[in-house]
Amino acid sequence: MSRPPRGEPGAWRPLGRFLRRPGLVLSVAVVTVVVLAAFWPALFTARDPLRGLPAQNFLPPSAEHWFGTDELGRDLYARVVHGAALSLKATLIAVGVAFVAGGALGLVAGFAGGWLEEALMRSVDVLLSIPALFLSLALVTALGHGTVNVAVAVGTASVATFARVTRAEVLRVRQAVYVEAARSSGARWYSVLGRHVLPGSIGPVAVLATLDLGAAVLAVSSLSFLGYGAPPPAPEWGALISSGRNYLLNAWWLSTLPGLVLAAMVLATNRIARALDAAWEAPR
Amino acid sequence: MQASHRRSPARRTPAALVTAAAALLATSCGSPGAATPEGTPDPKPGGTLTFAVGTDAGCVDPQQAGSSDTVYSLRQTVDSLTDQDPATGKIVPWLAESWQIGADARTFTFRLRTGATFSDGTPVDAAAVKANFDAIPKLGPLAIQAAGYLDGYSGTTVLDATTVKVSFKRPNAQFLQATSTPSLGLVSVASTRRTPRQRCGEGVIGSGPFLLAQYVPNKSITLSRRAGYAWGSPLWKKKGEAYLDKLVFTVIPEAGVRTGGLLSGQVDAVGRVARADEGALRSGNAGLPSYTIPGVGYNLGLNNARPILRDARVRQAISLAIDRRQIVDTVFPTGTLPATSVLARTTPGYRDLGAELAFDAAKAASALESAGWAPGADGIRTKDGRRLSLNVVWFANAATFQPALELVQQQLKAVGIELVLKELPVAQFPQLLKSGDFDALWGGNYSRADPDCLRTLYSTRLANAYRLAPGPLDELLDRQAAEPDTAKRKALVEQAQELIVREAYVVPIVDMRTTLGVSTAVHGLAFTAAGDIQLHDAWKS
Amino acid sequence: MRRYLITRLAQAAGVLWAAYTIAFFILDYLPGDPVSVMAGAAAQSAALDPAQLEALRREYGFDRPVLARYAAQLTDALRGDLGDSMAAGRPVTSVIAQALPPTLQLTGSALLLAVAGGGGLALLATATRRRWLRQVLLSLPSLAVSVPAFWIGLMLVQLLSFRVRIFPAFGDDGPAGLVLPAVTLAVPTAALLAQVLARSLTAALAEPYVQTARAKGAGRARVHLRHALRNACLPALTVAGLLAGQLLAGAVVIETVFSRDGLGRITASAVAQQDIPVVQGVVVVGAMVFVLVNLAIDLLFPLLDKRVAIGTAHAGSAA
Repeated sequence: MSRPPRGEPGAWRPLGRFLRRPGLVLSVAVVTVVVLAAFWPALFTARDPLRGLPAQNFLPPSAEHWFGTDELGRDLYARVVHGAALSLKATLIAVGVAFVAGGALGLVAGFAGGWLEEALMRSVDVLLSIPALFLSLALVTALGHGTVNVAVAVGTASVATFARVTRAEVLRVRQAVYVEAARSSGARWYSVLGRHVLPGSIGPVAVLATLDLGAAVLAVSSLSFLGYGAPPPAPEWGALISSGRNYLLNAWWLSTLPGLVLAAMVLATNRIARALDAAWEAPR
Repeated sequence: MQASHRRSPARRTPAALVTAAAALLATSCGSPGAATPEGTPDPKPGGTLTFAVGTDAGCVDPQQAGSSDTVYSLRQTVDSLTDQDPATGKIVPWLAESWQIGADARTFTFRLRTGATFSDGTPVDAAAVKANFDAIPKLGPLAIQAAGYLDGYSGTTVLDATTVKVSFKRPNAQFLQATSTPSLGLVSVASTRRTPRQRCGEGVIGSGPFLLAQYVPNKSITLSRRAGYAWGSPLWKKKGEAYLDKLVFTVIPEAGVRTGGLLSGQVDAVGRVARADEGALRSGNAGLPSYTIPGVGYNLGLNNARPILRDARVRQAISLAIDRRQIVDTVFPTGTLPATSVLARTTPGYRDLGAELAFDAAKAASALESAGWAPGADGIRTKDGRRLSLNVVWFANAATFQPALELVQQQLKAVGIELVLKELPVAQFPQLLKSGDFDALWGGNYSRADPDCLRTLYSTRLANAYRLAPGPLDELLDRQAAEPDTAKRKALVEQAQELIVREAYVVPIVDMRTTLGVSTAVHGLAFTAAGDIQLHDAWKS
Repeated sequence: MRRYLITRLAQAAGVLWAAYTIAFFILDYLPGDPVSVMAGAAAQSAALDPAQLEALRREYGFDRPVLARYAAQLTDALRGDLGDSMAAGRPVTSVIAQALPPTLQLTGSALLLAVAGGGGLALLATATRRRWLRQVLLSLPSLAVSVPAFWIGLMLVQLLSFRVRIFPAFGDDGPAGLVLPAVTLAVPTAALLAQVLARSLTAALAEPYVQTARAKGAGRARVHLRHALRNACLPALTVAGLLAGQLLAGAVVIETVFSRDGLGRITASAVAQQDIPVVQGVVVVGAMVFVLVNLAIDLLFPLLDKRVAIGTAHAGSAA
């Protein structure tokens, strides 16, 4: 992203400000832990996420099993830790596909206008009008099963959303006084796009992307639940949450704790995104 | 086989009723048939019973309905020629007072009781029986079960107003038991003339103790008591009309909501209680009657045409490596028992082969060694550079399937067999059967209180889903189908079971068991021989 | 203006046709077997003989070339005939017509709740001077969407129906039965609304005209509600079509959890059973809702945002 015009002298100021905001510090810590767990699960647990003692099933959370054990006696904490990689990968791919493809479509449409905008937005309309679940299902069927394919399918289903929001923002920014000013002062179109329109409209899209992180994990989970994701016994988070609901009455932790971990991660990314957003906005 | 119907005890069949009699239940089946705690007050008529089921199959014709969730209600609306005692498997009179079977098991002559009428006022007579049997083979795809019972049907002759003779082109010993099932429950002549779809959507006219009052797809089936009903099965305790005024079968897809609904008194009874919910229900003072469904239980059906699985030693090793007790105790409702034959314990003709289905990892390992599969680097065995890896196709019809399969996967891994779980949407099942593109199929259950289900599933002359090679099993299965003598037929069926278990064509895992949750205010609810329920004797206090 | 309307209607029809066509070919590509749907549970038995299904497939014309079937079905669809449901055997239009009212009831109440909740949250978050409160309020939406709807629903049922018996846990009789499902469905929708609204409110408050209004001495609340909110509504309106879609999709889960009859329930079972005519019908209905909502927004957009209307020739293409 293009950097705000001013800011060189204040290079260290954000760090200071950052440390004075506990919520933000915590959020960064949460994301760091999740990323570490995704790459080096052994840092967090030595237990096997796939093997348990059936005799020790449905144990509530304790010092021995932090998150309790599941229906087959497997350690839920180990499963959540080992599931981080799969879930993170799926989420990032899904959001990445939606953000890049949808953002580009919306940007071009909003900035170019005319027949190009018309054509692009009509195709987006068609894409949008098909319920996302069917679109994803059909794509997975075409691409084949597996985590990456499911993620691509989920991402594709939200391309249209990103395109629309991006376009709406671009339209808004385009009208703004400072952009008009830049234009009338003879700036080139790419300069207007890169220096003003893009930074000005990226904020809401980034917010949408962070919102979409949670939605993506859940969408991936609903597809996993339908049998299109990583095959069992892989401990993908969405699958853990949805299969745990069968045990809400006798083992609340099976659905709730992975759910909390997911919520914590989504909250953290959202908090970070808002901080970034504010930083982008600040110079204006 | 595959996927039981949606998620429960599947395939319909018999109709015998557990008369609540505790004595009956105590014997046989190990099933506590009635939910009724003994020593309760005197039965009282009236009231509405609300029963929560998980699914609606979209069809309210008992001759076409397949899922037990639907048959729970529809069984109450039709009577059958015969009934089957769940305690003994014995066929007893119902609408037919008596019957005679021809020496070659090709003709069945029924003498009907008099006085029974359908709810449109027409008599249950010989002409009605003929109209039913003539119409069933033309019912189409939904009635595969009923049509299968009438396989080789050549016609029905009305001998007089109350006597009919049903004839077949081939011997068909299973037919007598089939007449006790709701699939062959009798409907009025007017109903037989309607199209299969009309019958599905609007229901049929039966002669049962309740009649269909309202059907709202995906939501509920409401039945009301038939006034003047007086031709109940001799297995029932109460004579005459049923106790309850109204039965409402509500569709509640979420298991947790069903259980909570029962605990909070919003429903009176629920189907398909999961192991995980038993504790809450028990402490909430709900009764948990359960029943082992006769027929073929859950198994790992092997594709006998695959090169790896053509070797009987590999198939036997898989069977030996599975600890059925552990699976039953971890995943399935309390009271579920490990398979001890390919037939469930409650099936007539069952033979206990528990010793051959015992867990023995060491023996499994040596069987694999002798077949040439040596331990590989990653713990999975190899032979000529090939890994001993098999896929198992399954359908998410029941919440128990995934954990059960994950356990099987763990157990097989311990002896060096890799099992890859591959879930498919149910709608793809027919193509899978056609293509044969699987190493193993999970499920394979087929509920029927008659051993002829073995022929249906494993004869190479029929669908042959597991691609068995033609052999002596075919002959055994055909001979039992033609044997009207019960004792001689049992001997043949026992030989067939021994052959299937010894050769491990399929690997039996558990006997299917259905568990209901029933409020303590409900009494007299009983299982039929097929594992459906009988509500004629049920009442609320 | 009339020309504009006609163009927009033509575009809407085009979108519907494209959605129908894409759905047709995607569904046709699915490996499921429509005929086995008719056979229902019977087709799930190992005792099934594939030859029986083959005969049926011919009978229903599934062996005809795909383009021939497409042409025939499209012609029927134009006449308002969406075919018969494989599973229920009734016309798809009657299946959908029967399911629509309860779903509209549910989504309508959920939308009201979502607008009130999401809008209120956004206003509160941007109006408050307390930084921590603002951060907490702004975190709520992302928390709400990171929890699966079925989980929220099951928890509400556990608490408010089973523990404390205030509302019924299932069924669609009377307003009491509507409360829990509507609240559950409103949560993710309110979250999306709050996010978009809060973001654009913040932006609007920084705009020069708001500063001008303030400088002229307008009160804080007045500036907030009259000036900023009005302009901040625009991005929120552009997602209205999405919200409609989200509500319909949410109904799939909610109607299952709360055992309600409706479009979502039908969709779920049709997808599971691969009852293709019904799925196709639901796609068309979904697309129709979406197109209508957007048509309405397009007509409202120029009225609301003076800058867009006055500024450029954009009014015609805002969609």
